Amino acid sequence: MSATAQPAAQHARAELLARQASVKPGSDLQLGVHFILEKGWHIYWINPGDSGQPPSFEWQLPPGFTAGEIQWPRPERMQSSAELADYGYHDDALLMVPIHAPQVINNEQLRGLRFAVEARWLVCREVCIPEQAGLELFLPSGTIKENSAAAKLFAEAEKQLPMPIPQGWKIRVESRKDDFLLTVANGKPITKAIFFPLDPGQIDNPAPQKLQSSTSGATLTLKKSDLLVKPITLLRGVLVMPGKAPYRIEAPVRQPIQ
Amino acid sequence: MGVYKIGPMKGRHRFVLQVCAALALIASAFAVKVGDPAPGFTVVDSNGKQQHLSDYKGKFVVLEWHNQGCPYTRKHYESGNMQRLQKEWTAKGVAWLTVISSAPGTQGFVTPSQENDYLKTMKATPTAVLMDPGGSLGHLYAAKTTPHMFIVDPNGTLIYNGAIDDHPTSDQADIANSRNYVSMALQQAMDGKPVSEAATRPYGCSVKYKD
Repeated sequence: MSATAQPAAQHARAELLARQASVKPGSDLQLGVHFILEKGWHIYWINPGDSGQPPSFEWQLPPGFTAGEIQWPRPERMQSSAELADYGYHDDALLMVPIHAPQVINNEQLRGLRFAVEARWLVCREVCIPEQAGLELFLPSGTIKENSAAAKLFAEAEKQLPMPIPQGWKIRVESRKDDFLLTVANGKPITKAIFFPLDPGQIDNPAPQKLQSSTSGATLTLKKSDLLVKPITLLRGVLVMPGKAPYRIEAPVRQPIQ
Repeated sequence: MGVYKIGPMKGRHRFVLQVCAALALIASAFAVKVGDPAPGFTVVDSNGKQQHLSDYKGKFVVLEWHNQGCPYTRKHYESGNMQRLQKEWTAKGVAWLTVISSAPGTQGFVTPSQENDYLKTMKATPTAVLMDPGGSLGHLYAAKTTPHMFIVDPNGTLIYNGAIDDHPTSDQADIANSRNYVSMALQQAMDGKPVSEAATRPYGCSVKYKD
């Protein structure tokens, strides 16, 4: 592989990686921006929580190639005071992006096809610093092959991506005056769970999420945000339970009976 | 919500301050909602003068949480955007109160004279800068970020809580294409219209509370 990593500013290093060692016309390729963070520093999830800003990527791709959306791994919750909780990543994070190759690949240079991204991110500890880096890599066209050095990192990151909820599980969300009740019924008691809201301004991020376990699952109490002034129809987010894959939640909200 | 005092006090007033700190913790559990009465306060400003919210009854009041080192605050000061807003709205009779809740030893903490120097250098003209190193006023309003903006109407009702505009970035180039929520809310309220975007997600650095 002919990837080049450019060291950025002091607190986060970013490199552009490819899961594949070559590009097959008409297929999907997986690229990822790998962040390696200085100890104690963090970057942000798509919903950063009460402060911060998610990373953004601006792609420069060979003709006919298109980039999809960032696939966000489940975040960690970072609480800095009674009022403030943020969602993001420590240590290292791989933000993967699917890239679609056209049926016919043109413009291949001697070094291969050039994939470039201008990555911008905010990195914070007690203070926040906007950083950015221009990253690029070159891949030849050919039959699809995994790049063994990077593939492991991609496989690990994939395990952190939210999955659709398994068949047979039931999710129910009820809106009350000051909170939402999120009930997960999977047929077994759930003793530990945390919900990460995808949309900002719906739930109070730092409020403790009270968990009521039952024989068939659990109910989480999610305090409403002070910024929530209109009723919402859909609650979206990620449910994380220890020892399980993170699950994507997208549930209609039942309004209180007047 | 009663009025309570924040600021340097001596002797038996220390007790008042402690009670107030407890009140602030309780208050933060309820926080402030648009449509509710804005909680009263007394805080010392960068000129050593006591500022009461009640002093401004009959006027619109803007509260602007500030941290001069934060890239998101710098976006709006180094571009002159915040100064323009302060000038425009104070000229129309609005009281603009900048609040600094950075604890000593954290980013954005400044002494009153350092703050006054900063105002001069930046040509910033808020009505006053409230010094809140203990974070009580910040906790009372559940201020989350710098900037985080609040607007109180002439009756003392909170009519806006949220971001300064709709571009949650630290890039000055975005200001030209932004809808400024504070100006929108003030204009709508002054025209006797309901505020269309009364609660938005504030963006920026976290407020550097001591706890």
